[in-house]
Amino acid sequence: MPIIRTIGLTKRYEDLVAVDQLNLSIEEGEIFGLLGPNGAGKTTTVLMLSTVVKPTEGTAFVGEQDIKKNPDDVRKLIGICFQEPKILWVSTPWDVLNWHAKVCGLSTAERKKRVKQVLEDVNMWDSRQKNVHGLSGGMRKRVEISKVLIQRPRIAFIDEPTAQIDVVGKHKIWNMIRELRDEGSTIILATNELHEADMLSDRVAIMHKGKLLVCDTPKTLKDGILGGDMVEIRLEKEVTQKSLEELKNFREVVDVIAVNPNNLRVYLNKVEEVVPQIMKLFLKKHLPISSINMSEPSLDDVFVHYTGLTIEEAEHKSPSRWKH
Amino acid sequence: MVVERDLRMFLQYKFLIILRTIWFVAQIGFFGLIASRMVVPDLADIYFEYYIAGVIIMMLYSASVFIGYDIFEEAEHGVFEYLLSLPVSRRELVFGRSIGGGIRSFIFVGPLIAISLFIIGLANPLNFLIAFSALFLFAFGVSGMSITIAVGLKSSDRFDILMGALNAVIVRLSTTMYPQAFVQDANQAYAALTNFNPVTFASDLFRWGVGIEKYLTMSPMPLAAIIGLVIFFSAFTFVGVTFYERRLEGGGWK
Repeated sequence: MPIIRTIGLTKRYEDLVAVDQLNLSIEEGEIFGLLGPNGAGKTTTVLMLSTVVKPTEGTAFVGEQDIKKNPDDVRKLIGICFQEPKILWVSTPWDVLNWHAKVCGLSTAERKKRVKQVLEDVNMWDSRQKNVHGLSGGMRKRVEISKVLIQRPRIAFIDEPTAQIDVVGKHKIWNMIRELRDEGSTIILATNELHEADMLSDRVAIMHKGKLLVCDTPKTLKDGILGGDMVEIRLEKEVTQKSLEELKNFREVVDVIAVNPNNLRVYLNKVEEVVPQIMKLFLKKHLPISSINMSEPSLDDVFVHYTGLTIEEAEHKSPSRWKH
Repeated sequence: MVVERDLRMFLQYKFLIILRTIWFVAQIGFFGLIASRMVVPDLADIYFEYYIAGVIIMMLYSASVFIGYDIFEEAEHGVFEYLLSLPVSRRELVFGRSIGGGIRSFIFVGPLIAISLFIIGLANPLNFLIAFSALFLFAFGVSGMSITIAVGLKSSDRFDILMGALNAVIVRLSTTMYPQAFVQDANQAYAALTNFNPVTFASDLFRWGVGIEKYLTMSPMPLAAIIGLVIFFSAFTFVGVTFYERRLEGGGWK
């Protein structure tokens, strides 16, 4: 039984279809990546699932509760880390998090313990009494994600968790998200950072222009790209035409480009299975290999495969950001 | 907790609180004192007290309206989305905000009420306590009204203009600044509207509470005013919840 199930979920803002007939199933305990450029409909999907925004059509079940019929029950199950930190009143990180924990029903003792622990984990303990308006963007983002980490909801929506955060901080937050999952939360990770989605997600759904393009594990999606793997082979001797033909005859090989007679670029599938066979072929042909470099496709390649655009190009072509 | 948050927000507006206090002092220290000399000399002192009570209600009204401006600031910063995502029902949220808006108005107006009591005096403490409690309903109702209008309009410019116009009408067509008898003399229609104005209910109650009920709209027993305030508070809390749900979740803030 999926913990989240959307049925034809749609949101329109006048002429703009922000989310178009979204059908998704998210299993309990997984990190589910919602991937796409800005304007793809990820945030609107998160806002609908968290009952912040009402769908125009369709519905969704979150923890078996209908978002339209039982929004109050849905909100008891969820926690959100917003894309933009939602900290308005002039206060300190401690106050913001303490108030959030209080609203989420944590006892005074538990609240103090968790707020302290999480502030230390995100390196914000020393800044806990600073005015939030004096914090950098990255620090405010860390306060924002701390809300979910303190709350430990059954379902956590995390929108762009590492935007504006430095590399070291990113790895730390990724580990904390994994720990949150390990403690029992289901995590819906909305991001336009493909590497982040690849690193963290058990499954990813790629969205573009409000529509769901594809949904599967990152590995299956990457393996699904024909000729997505690439192997660059440098030989000590010039390759013969016959060897080249034999190489092209491998079922998994999609294309071979001879950059020069000693340097071949091979586009293929299932690189880990085929490379030993290629090495065997060249050894049999007395063509010693001086170096071999393999690269797998990334989720960027998957996005290009399904949209014909890189994620940066897709962002430039997306409709202007709408207001909620 | 929602109330706590709104109280914290209000305490940010130190500059505004100082300005409004200066306004209050200027209104009673200059305008009230001088304008009261324009009435019959025998009634000058009574009008001065009458005017002070009216200014208190005007201050309470304008402080309670202020929560609507917070809503726009929250919309601008996207904090609405955060509040709407919390494990709190919409009813609790709007109710909490109306209460928070009302309480913080009292925190602001409280010292001014103390000043007015020092000037006017206090004839009957029990009456004052009843009136004071009913004024909470007035403040909660005005906060609810402000929230309802803010989320209904979804535009800070329109809200600003409408609240300015509403303030002009609702305060002028009430007994905050002049007794009902004089409104009646001026225009029957004005007088009829004045009778159904929550600002009138609040002004009359406060004057009854401090013992200067000589020029009240209603009979000395302020039951009608209390019922009026209960209806006003309930209506705007209910409408506020409905608007909050229907308007905010639909999006489209300007």
